[in-house]
Amino acid sequence: MAEVLKANILANFAFYRRSRLLMAFALAFLLLTGLSSLPALFNNSGVQSFNALQQIFSILNVFLLFLAGGLGLFIISSHLRNRSLKMVFTKPCSPALWLASAILSAALVSLLLHGVVLTSAVVLSLVWKVPVRAGLVFVSADTFIASLGIVAYMMLLATLVHPAIAVTLVLIFNAEMFYDAQVWTQAVIRSGNASVALRVLEHIFHGLYLVLPMIHAYGKQTDVVNTSLRVLHGDWKYLLYSLGYVLVLTAFCYFVALFALQRKRHI
Amino acid sequence: MIIAENVHVHFRRGLLRRKLQALNGLSLEVYDGDFFALVGQNGAGKSTAMYCLLGLLQPTSGKVEVMGKTPELGSQLYQSVAYLPEEPHYHLYLTVEEATRYYSALYRRRVSDKAINDVLERLGLAQFKTLPLSKCSKGMKQKVGIAQCLIHETRLLFLDEPTRGLDPLVVREFREALREIHQRGATIVMNSHVLSEIEMLANRVAIIDRGKVVVQDELQNLLTLDRELYGVTFEPNGSMPDYIGSIERVGTVVKASIPKERLYDFMDYTKNSGLSVHECSLKKTSLEDSFFKIVKDGRAQA
Repeated sequence: MAEVLKANILANFAFYRRSRLLMAFALAFLLLTGLSSLPALFNNSGVQSFNALQQIFSILNVFLLFLAGGLGLFIISSHLRNRSLKMVFTKPCSPALWLASAILSAALVSLLLHGVVLTSAVVLSLVWKVPVRAGLVFVSADTFIASLGIVAYMMLLATLVHPAIAVTLVLIFNAEMFYDAQVWTQAVIRSGNASVALRVLEHIFHGLYLVLPMIHAYGKQTDVVNTSLRVLHGDWKYLLYSLGYVLVLTAFCYFVALFALQRKRHI
Repeated sequence: MIIAENVHVHFRRGLLRRKLQALNGLSLEVYDGDFFALVGQNGAGKSTAMYCLLGLLQPTSGKVEVMGKTPELGSQLYQSVAYLPEEPHYHLYLTVEEATRYYSALYRRRVSDKAINDVLERLGLAQFKTLPLSKCSKGMKQKVGIAQCLIHETRLLFLDEPTRGLDPLVVREFREALREIHQRGATIVMNSHVLSEIEMLANRVAIIDRGKVVVQDELQNLLTLDRELYGVTFEPNGSMPDYIGSIERVGTVVKASIPKERLYDFMDYTKNSGLSVHECSLKKTSLEDSFFKIVKDGRAQA
């Protein structure tokens, strides 16, 4: 089994290596880092350098989250669209094993890219003589954990629907949108318009907010770390909580995607 | 080796979810060591039947058994099964060598670099090892598929329109490779439009029409299904006797067929009229003739 898993992961790495997605990442990475670094060259205070570093690091981490979505989406949709899975499932390699290898491959690539971004941030800290803060590691780990959830969720969506619909669902109809909608309906209800339809709508929005996966499950608790890059002793536990949340989400997405893949009448 | 009993497959298509019957009670049996061909018109259900046999498509009803087991995606059953799909269904982002290595690794057996290099060398792919499959010709891609059958001892090989779009030279090479795999003891199930090729390779044939097997028999029986005729080529100089049929004129020459029992009448006719006869030989019914006759008869009965 390990041999088959390894073979699939190596093939998936070749897929990522030759896809334009990672090329786009490399270009965007260089561009973002380069452009964001320019003002910092003229900084003569430590505070300004820290702010520039924090900004670059934050932009790159957001970018990594988008990229994680792409990694999850493309590995599934491309193989389903090309129907190349016929060549895999007509050999002793089950859909369960292939799907696990797809998640692992995307996670490993994502880990590698987080490593690149973290190392770059540490190098910039040293070059600009800004103290290397533990917050860099914390934010990287937190973003990586969030990336795992996004990878799994995008894989599930790519198995169920067209990639364009999957992207629309993630970008527009996400938990944040339904949270905002719920807050808005609550505000309207509080202002005196307590119609039954609005109350039902509020419950639907709340339900959808709870059901849909969150990118940063403990974002409110760890928001300060993102801006200050300082980690208090009690903050580390949120990484564990996030990991727990993401592992449950990943397992759920994996089993539903597997069920959908096996139920597909035509591979 | 393979048993399909009363297999029905229907799809729902379009906004109105219209029912489309792809297989309509298909039954067939493939024996160990067969070179079995599925023949039929476009849309007859050949590929659907093959997908059902491979487990890639779940039948709506009916039973499919391959080597005594119901085919399930990625199961151990595929340990000795290989499948060569139509052109685009390979991992196009892999190179020739990577794809060969990858497909081999999926069989859960360790394959040495030497074995991979040897088979690539043998199939004439060694110089294209680093070429991505997306840039390979169809013939090269099919050879990558064949490579896995040569590396592993395949017991059952499925081929879906394997020679479509290949040039004659590659077709011949491909045919030789298939013969070798068959001679090693593999059972081969092939789905093809090229009836002349099936005549050359297959020993048993199933003719599929409108989702159903209308005839399943030894190839030899299908080739001699009709009464035997003589094919004649001669230069007539006036009206021709009634028993001369299937007349085809090429300039002053006529190609036609005559029933076996009228051979001596034809000889008298040409002798008395002083006609020059270019050719006269026993004409056996081709698979194409049988195919058209069977499909036509089947439809007339329906």
